[in-house]
Amino acid sequence: MTTINGYSETPQGYQDGNTPVPAPAISTSKQPLTTAKTVDTQSVLKRLQSELMALMMSGDAGISAFPEEDNIFCWKGTITGSKDTVFEGTEYKLSFSFPTDYPFKPPKVKFETGCFHPNVDVYGNICLDILQDKWSSAYDVRTILLSIQSLLGEPNTSSPLNTQAAALWINQEEYRKMVEKLYKPSA
Amino acid sequence: MEDRPTDGADSEEISEGFLCCVCLELLYKPIVLHCGHISCFWCVHRSMSGRYESHCPICRHSYSHFPAICQMLHFLLLKMYPVAYKIRENEILEQEKKSGYFSPQFDAHVCGLHSSQELSQLGNPAHYSTTISQSNTCSDETIVLQKNCNGKLEVTRSVAVEEKNLPQYNPNGNCKQVSIANVLCAACKQLLFQPAVLNCGHVYCATCIVSPANEVLRCQVCQALHPTGFPKVCLEFDHFLEDKFPKQYSVRKDAVKIQQVHFQHESSTIRSTKASERGVNLSSEFIGEILSWWSHHGSKAHFGVGCDSCGMLPIIGDRYKCKDCVEAIGFDLCGDCYNTCSKLPGRFNQQHTPEHKFQLLRSSHDVMLSQVTVQLEGGSSENSENSSPPSIFPGDSQENAENDLAASISSNDTLEYEHD
Repeated sequence: MTTINGYSETPQGYQDGNTPVPAPAISTSKQPLTTAKTVDTQSVLKRLQSELMALMMSGDAGISAFPEEDNIFCWKGTITGSKDTVFEGTEYKLSFSFPTDYPFKPPKVKFETGCFHPNVDVYGNICLDILQDKWSSAYDVRTILLSIQSLLGEPNTSSPLNTQAAALWINQEEYRKMVEKLYKPSA
Repeated sequence: MEDRPTDGADSEEISEGFLCCVCLELLYKPIVLHCGHISCFWCVHRSMSGRYESHCPICRHSYSHFPAICQMLHFLLLKMYPVAYKIRENEILEQEKKSGYFSPQFDAHVCGLHSSQELSQLGNPAHYSTTISQSNTCSDETIVLQKNCNGKLEVTRSVAVEEKNLPQYNPNGNCKQVSIANVLCAACKQLLFQPAVLNCGHVYCATCIVSPANEVLRCQVCQALHPTGFPKVCLEFDHFLEDKFPKQYSVRKDAVKIQQVHFQHESSTIRSTKASERGVNLSSEFIGEILSWWSHHGSKAHFGVGCDSCGMLPIIGDRYKCKDCVEAIGFDLCGDCYNTCSKLPGRFNQQHTPEHKFQLLRSSHDVMLSQVTVQLEGGSSENSENSSPPSIFPGDSQENAENDLAASISSNDTLEYEHD
């Protein structure tokens, strides 16, 4: 019989029924394995490399990302505010940190540049469903960047991390001024 | 990323449609989900939740059963991209050795067969022991391929075997030839048109899939039940066929159009019947509902444990765990499969045999509820037809009602699709 807590304790949430018992044959088929850890960072590496390649080839305007030196599990990305939004003309740096069971679990993504936005808190944490429960293993860095870029112009003000920003959102004029005032591009 | 950096593989340009959406590499041991999207065996397995229903990485369509590998696609890819596919195979095998969990091995000398053998390979479900003698069905269509394979493409049988030689790539490239004989519908034996893949991995034209009234959809080749309503067309595969065999494809298209007129008439009656006696029917629109449903019945779920026959993950209701399988991944069956078709080998290459003994496990809540009325000793459950459904969710008529609801809804789905 499988324990449920096997789950919560497993970082992946995958799990495995074989935790509790001495007998090796406990778990089962089809169950997503705990093996994810052992399952090779190799394949994660390959996937990240493909992503990097695709991202560089794609030439999407306003987004970019690149691994930090010597660690392909940490990337820095940038997005620019889209035209005709209050964020036009600003540029934001983001950090990506990939788990070893990527892409089965989402990367941790944070704003490195302060961003005055209803769904971004003062530490740069982002509230975006696809980075949490709506994550899918078919998403990648590019789709994340594009999602965050569009999140800028279309915040979800009903469950804000930054209530001040959420309250101000209706007044786009004022909001724009606020963005300009608070905008401190990182070097 | 279409170009494979590895030597010899350069010449194999892999069509984008055959790249896995998860690992971004050539599909390896492809599985076609109910929604028609394709991914690798391990990519699907690792994407599955184990706790709740799972969702397609691409379209989020929910599903509860881990489908079997689509062997037709498997052999097709092997043939089209022998070098790249072999490289993938070696990589995966390495990983499997490390982890101690293995994917199914297909017993096939893929290349260099006669069409008959080959077809029967293609026709077989992952559970190859249930072979239906399909070989005689394979027409006189010829296979272009043939000779090349000096056994090099032979799929490794036993994992213990060292893969000796990477393929000496046969540069004349004739192993890339795919003939129509490789892509026939399991029912009409003609070129697949709008292929749809069942949970067992068998491929049919969408229009060739029919289930008799009042019954769950069942594969005509292997008799396995398809638990989730009618599968959607695998579009990548469909595009490939149209590309590859434009003439024959358009002939098929015209023919099917004519049939379809009839088909649609009948279909409303066919489909609106209760599709599920045993399966859990899920349809994407009902994720919310189903989730709550799930939360009600999660107490009967064996988290992280799936059925090695039908693929249900997690197993809901009774779980039969094999006491004799030594593989790390174990071997389990859901109540239904235990009562019907336990002869199949596992989904992870377990060496399960019918002689093995099972042990019944119930989830803790289940035991407490103790309303379970399942007959342990074999043969009790009437296999199918008009019997009442009790095996998955013993003794709760409300659930059954909900099941039927979900079932009829998902059949509506299919209807809609067909009108598209």
